[in-house]
Amino acid sequence: MSSQNSNEVRLPELGEGVMEGELIKWLVKPGDTVKPDQPVAEIMTDKATVEVPSPVAGTVKELKFKAGDVIAVEKVILTLEGGTAAAQVAAPAAAKPAAQPAAATTTSKPITTPNYAAAPATNFSGAQLDTAGINPPVADFKTLATPSTRRLAREMNVDINTLSGSGLAGRVTREDVLASGGGLETYSTPANGTYKAPSIPKSGPVAATESDERVPLRGIRKKIAENMQMAKHIIPHFTLMDEAEVTELVALRDSLKSEAEALGTKITYLPFVMKALIATCRQFPMFNASIDDAAAEIVYKKHFNIGFAADTPNGLVVPVIKSANHKTILEISREILDLAKRARDGKLKPEEMKGATITVTNIGSVGGTYATPIINHPEVAILGMYKISDRLVLNEGKVSSVKVMNFTITADHRLIDGAVAANFLKAFITKIQKPGMLLLEMI
Amino acid sequence: MAQNFDVVVVGSGPGGYVCAIRAAQNGLKTAIVERDALGGVCLNVGCIPSKALISATHFLHKAQHDAATMGIEIKNISVDVKKLISWKQTVCDKMSGGVKQLLSGNQVTVFNGDAEFKNAKELSVKTKNGTETLTAKNFVIATGSRPIEIPGFSFDEKNILSSTGALAIQEVPKKTVIIGGGYIGLEIGGVLSKLGSEVTVLEAGPQVLNGVVDPECAQVVARKLTKQGVKILTNVKAKSQKKSGNGFEVTIENNGKEEIVKCDKIVVTVGRKPNSDQAGLKNIGLQIDEKGFVKVNAQRKTNLAGIYAIGDIACQPMLAHKASYEGVLVADVIAGKNRVYDVKTVPAVVFTDPEISSAGLMESEAKAKGFDIKVSKFPFAANGRAVSIMETDGFVKIIADSKSHIVLGVHIVGPEASNLISEAALAIEMGARLEDLAFTIHPHPTLGETMMEAAEATLGHAIHIIQKPLNKDRSQTAHV
Repeated sequence: MSSQNSNEVRLPELGEGVMEGELIKWLVKPGDTVKPDQPVAEIMTDKATVEVPSPVAGTVKELKFKAGDVIAVEKVILTLEGGTAAAQVAAPAAAKPAAQPAAATTTSKPITTPNYAAAPATNFSGAQLDTAGINPPVADFKTLATPSTRRLAREMNVDINTLSGSGLAGRVTREDVLASGGGLETYSTPANGTYKAPSIPKSGPVAATESDERVPLRGIRKKIAENMQMAKHIIPHFTLMDEAEVTELVALRDSLKSEAEALGTKITYLPFVMKALIATCRQFPMFNASIDDAAAEIVYKKHFNIGFAADTPNGLVVPVIKSANHKTILEISREILDLAKRARDGKLKPEEMKGATITVTNIGSVGGTYATPIINHPEVAILGMYKISDRLVLNEGKVSSVKVMNFTITADHRLIDGAVAANFLKAFITKIQKPGMLLLEMI
Repeated sequence: MAQNFDVVVVGSGPGGYVCAIRAAQNGLKTAIVERDALGGVCLNVGCIPSKALISATHFLHKAQHDAATMGIEIKNISVDVKKLISWKQTVCDKMSGGVKQLLSGNQVTVFNGDAEFKNAKELSVKTKNGTETLTAKNFVIATGSRPIEIPGFSFDEKNILSSTGALAIQEVPKKTVIIGGGYIGLEIGGVLSKLGSEVTVLEAGPQVLNGVVDPECAQVVARKLTKQGVKILTNVKAKSQKKSGNGFEVTIENNGKEEIVKCDKIVVTVGRKPNSDQAGLKNIGLQIDEKGFVKVNAQRKTNLAGIYAIGDIACQPMLAHKASYEGVLVADVIAGKNRVYDVKTVPAVVFTDPEISSAGLMESEAKAKGFDIKVSKFPFAANGRAVSIMETDGFVKIIADSKSHIVLGVHIVGPEASNLISEAALAIEMGARLEDLAFTIHPHPTLGETMMEAAEATLGHAIHIIQKPLNKDRSQTAHV
């Protein structure tokens, strides 16, 4: 069988490290004619929901899966009749090609790219391998690790090729593997975001009663579970809370409302908060940073990619405003609206949820006075913003009405001391209380 | 009535029987099917019998040549070939019997007979007592390979012999032509030559063991074979043969000209091919590549769920120890363990005189992979033990990354090269550096010291050879 059969549509690479996706629904049915690049299916991965396009034109013959099925990347999802052989590669739906080969989850994966022909028939030095569908991937020849260490990594579900070895000449040691995410003493996470799915320490089985409904933990929910557990496991969290008087901010935002609408967007408080956050991080660079455990180094980020938590029907996702320090409040507003909408629709691309250097969570839009958010590892801090309320205050003997808003800063105590966080929050509140100050740093 | 198993292994060679034992150890209900003797080619017509004959003739050769130099006069040495062959058979039978005991001790059910896949879930076995039908959750295909025949030289195993026939001769042919200067041809050629046959090796390539081993190692063996009286013709092709009197005339093409080589027996050793045309493998939808190997992935899964392939049938290199590794691997994969074929090297041995062995990359391969390499050799002539056993031909060659000093390849030609290579294989799997080999005390006086000295030589300061140019900075052991 040919991997490039023009009559087959395969599940394309869905993003780095994404091995499988759940079929949400078909967008075509047998007998439909499809054009090249026409979406044929909606697939939910642990990062996003994506539409899979047909690489070629043709008439839909057979749908190979039904809604709810989990499909490994590279599997044939539907067949076409009269497919035009235009496509040499299935167009990736959403993301750059994954670095890792896809894992087959159900049955053994059809072997699509054998390179046996290239093997010298008599060469003793090593067997030819097809390593597709092997998870974690097979150790590269150049990866230095003893056989028992390679075995340990496999059993801990760690891709040994991604670990930076601490031993001589970059050797990956047993300790490196143990520290890499098997749920043991410590995690080490390359700060560049190549962290492989950690295996969550398993708790015992939950006693069942008949009325329970059991649903597989998968997709975005599974990813959230893993990320949260990892973050809580690695990071010693602490949270500071304070109140800001935001009368000026409210007035400023109200005054800009109509201008913004004239320019075709809606302006919220979040862009102001982001700008104040960036200005504060410039004073306190350890908040826009990561800890690279493997290298035992602190990585200070010079760019400001600000994540913001978005509640969606599928669960929490964190879209990222890239290089927010180079964008105007108007640009950020537009981007927030666009990302938030697509997040709700499950249409975010995986790379739109990657690379944040610090995150803001806006729980105020729902309610509650304070929360203790979880840091989005490998970031080291998360800013919480809460609802605005009116309050009467006594100022020089006079009662006046002001707007107040609560803020929290949650930080990684490994890197950030309590007093530093207190100063950070104070500096931030000074800025948000006097939004005019932000003009001083405006780009 | 179908008998049902968790695992049915087809073929009981060094891949199959090892797989069956491990599967049984893993608590799986296991059966193994063998059409011939337990142990497959390796134990019965390959590795073990050939090594028996090689050891015997090595002993003979020492008695004839080196003994007198050592002051031991042995007169009237004669060889009883029939007795030699029957002794060889006792060796094989002993090994095969051992496999039988191991299988039964592990409660593996053995079926003797020809296996044929009816479909991907059902295997029929024609035994002496009728046909058995076996069903299994998992099948492991370990049906091996067989010698390749070439046109005009069909095996009759009387005069035109495969390796199998050559290991069972009843008398020594006066003149033997060996077609194919690969490792099997040279091993058999060496044995027949030592038994007194006039051996001519016909090799189509420019060198014997062409592309298979380090070219310098091949040269040492070619030189010694020539000295021993074996005629090696390279860049020649065997075209045809015809009977002539009691013997044969083999027509060869030598640099464009036709020539005749006379002989009594012809041994054809041009390689082996996978047995993928047997056992119904072609009828069940199994993907097989153009060379006849069943296509497998790094867990030795085939394209069919529940069917695995290991050993010679699966991929190169066709070596028993690779098959055994795969056997264990697959038995563990079936038992639900996450295992994968991730070795860095499959060491290889050629039992010529002297022996050749290798682990890791050849120089050309290391360069092709983009390594900047340093290479050094240490000769057996500078090793006390080698001198004392009068076997000083050969050397240990080490190839290492020039910056990190990680050992990439080791190639040995010389006495006991087969037994010395395991240290190199371990070094490569462990990611050892030259210093690790050099700074490990190797006992004296042993052949193994050559490994340490070769590592020192690569670093530029072996003790027992004079390395030029003399390095002023003797502290050049790298600190990486």
